[in-house]
Amino acid sequence: MSKPTPILSARHVSKRYGKFTAVNDISLDILPGTVHSVIGPNGAGKTTLFHTLTGSTAISAGSILVEGEEVAHLPGYKRVRKGLARSFQITSLFPNLSVRENLRLAAQGTRPLQALNPWRRPERLRAACDSAEQLLVRLNLQAVAERLAAELSHGQQRRLEVGMAMAGQPKVIFLDEPTSGMGIDDIGDMKRLIHSLRDTTTVLLIEHNMDIVMDISDQITVMQQGQILAQGKPAEIRSDERVRRAYLGSMITGGKA
Amino acid sequence: MKYFVHFRFTLLAALVTLLLPLLVGSGSLATEVLIFALAALGCNLLLGYTGLLSFGQGIFFGIGSYTTGLALLRLQAPLLPSLLLAMLIGAAVALLVGWFAIRQRGTYFVMLTLAFAQMFYFLAYTMKDLTGGDNGLLDVPRPNLSLFGHTMLATTSPWQYYSFVAIVFVLVFWLLQRVVDSVLGRTLLAVRDNETRAAAVGYDITLLKLTAFVISGAVTGLAGGLHAMMTGVAPLSNIEYHTSEAILIMTVIGGTGNLFASVLGASFYVLIGNWLSTLWPRWLMLLGFLLIGVSLYLHKGLFGVAQALLRKFGVRPAADIADTTSVKEQHP
Repeated sequence: MSKPTPILSARHVSKRYGKFTAVNDISLDILPGTVHSVIGPNGAGKTTLFHTLTGSTAISAGSILVEGEEVAHLPGYKRVRKGLARSFQITSLFPNLSVRENLRLAAQGTRPLQALNPWRRPERLRAACDSAEQLLVRLNLQAVAERLAAELSHGQQRRLEVGMAMAGQPKVIFLDEPTSGMGIDDIGDMKRLIHSLRDTTTVLLIEHNMDIVMDISDQITVMQQGQILAQGKPAEIRSDERVRRAYLGSMITGGKA
Repeated sequence: MKYFVHFRFTLLAALVTLLLPLLVGSGSLATEVLIFALAALGCNLLLGYTGLLSFGQGIFFGIGSYTTGLALLRLQAPLLPSLLLAMLIGAAVALLVGWFAIRQRGTYFVMLTLAFAQMFYFLAYTMKDLTGGDNGLLDVPRPNLSLFGHTMLATTSPWQYYSFVAIVFVLVFWLLQRVVDSVLGRTLLAVRDNETRAAAVGYDITLLKLTAFVISGAVTGLAGGLHAMMTGVAPLSNIEYHTSEAILIMTVIGGTGNLFASVLGASFYVLIGNWLSTLWPRWLMLLGFLLIGVSLYLHKGLFGVAQALLRKFGVRPAADIADTTSVKEQHP
C-alpha cells in the first residue's frame, strides 16, 4: 500500500524569540482527511507551532509545504488562499457585527480582492451569503443570527470561532483549544462538530480534553519543550512509556488506561 | 420601501441642504457647514468605519485648498477640473501618508499622522513661491460652472455658490453612503472590529486601510478646494494642525459609524461656534466640555442623542449595520 501524500508538511520548522526557542526543529506530516491532534503541557510550543504554520508569525528556519507548495514565506492572509484556516485559543470574532455578518465576512475572505469593490452590495455576492446561511444551521446558531457576536454565550462564541475557520472551506483547518472554558453540555456538541469536519477537510487540533483527543484523533503528536516527544495513533500514545512518564499517566489517558 | 432604506440618509442629507438656507442667514456660513461636513465624512470613514484615528486630515484639506487655488490662479483651469485635481492630489498625498502610517497600529499610528501634519505644515510654510507662506494663496477666483461654453450655474453670490456646494455635497454623500454599504465598507468594519481575525480569514489589512485612506484623502481634498473658492484664499491655517483637530472634533461630536452623524457634528460645530463666538470669545472652552461629555457619556455622539429622542417619541429607526450600540474592545 502506497503512503498517501501529506496535505501539509512541516520540515525542520523552528521559531526562536531571542535566545528562547519555542519550536525546535519540528517535522510533521499531516495526511488528508484525518484529525491530527497536538497535545502537550502548557508552554510546550503547541500554539506557537500553529502560529508558524498558519502564518500568524514568521518562522526562524525550516519550510512549510501545502500540497507540495512552499508557503513559509507567505503572510497569514495569503495562506488562507492556499487552503489554511484557523480558530484561536482566545475567542477572536468581530464583536460589534452580527453572527451572520461574521460568517459572511469569513466566507468572503477566500476571495479578498472582491472585498475592495466599493460599489457592489454584499448581498449580491451569493456564494459568501449562502455559505454563511449553511454554517448558521451547521453550528446551530440560526436563532441568534442577528445578534451581535459580543452578546453570545461563551459556548456559542466558541462554536462561532470554529465556524469562522470553517467558512472559507479550507483544506486544512487549525483548531486551537476549541473547547477552552466550555461547559459539559457544550463540549459534546463541539466534539461532534469537529468529528464531522473530517468528511470534508483535514483537521489539526490542539486540545487539553483527553476524552475528545483520544476519541476522535487519527494521529496524535505529543510536544514537550518545543520538540516532538512522541507520535502515533491514540492507542500507541496511550501506552507510550515516555508519554506516561512525562504526564503522570492518568492525565493523558483520561483515566481510561 | 427597500430603496428608501438604502437612500434614507442621503435624503436626510439633501433635506439638510434645503433647511440650511431657511435657518442660517449667511450664505457663506451655510456653505462652510457643508464643506466641513464633507471633511468630517472623510474623517468618519477612517475613524468610524476603519478604526483609524487620523490627526492628518488637515493635510488633505490644506493640500486641497492649495491645489484648487493654484489650478485656478496659475493654470486658469475651469471649476470642475480644479476640484477634481484637488481630489486627485488629496488622494495621492493620503496614499503617501497612509503608506507610512498604516505600518504602525494604535498610538504609533496616531503619532505618525501627527508627525506628518507638522511636516506638511512646515513644508507649506517654507514653500512661499507655491503657497504664499504665511499670507496664504490670495485672490483665488471662483469661476461659474460652465459646460461646453454654456454657464450652467453662476457662483458669484454666496447663495449661488451655496447651491453649487450643496449639489456636490449631496452627490458625495450618496457616493460615500454607497461605499460604506458596499462589500468594501462592510469589510472595513471587520478591520475596525478585529484586525487579527480579519487577517486570519484572508484579508489584506494594509490594502484595505490604504483604500480607506485614499478615499478619505480625496473627499477631504475636495472639501479643502471648495473652501479656498468660498473664501477666495487658500490660507496657511487650512493645513495647520488646528484644522485636523477641528475635523476630528466634529466627527467625534457627531458620532462615528454613521455618515449622517458627521453632517450633524459639522453643522453643530460650525453653527454653534459661530453663534457662541459672538457672545463669548472663550466659546471654545464650552466645546471642550461638550467633548468631555461625549467621551464620557455619549459614545454615539449627537446622532446617538437624536436616535434616543426619536425612540422616546415612538419612532423606531431601522438598525444600521455599522452601529456600535456598545462598542466592545476585544484584544486578541
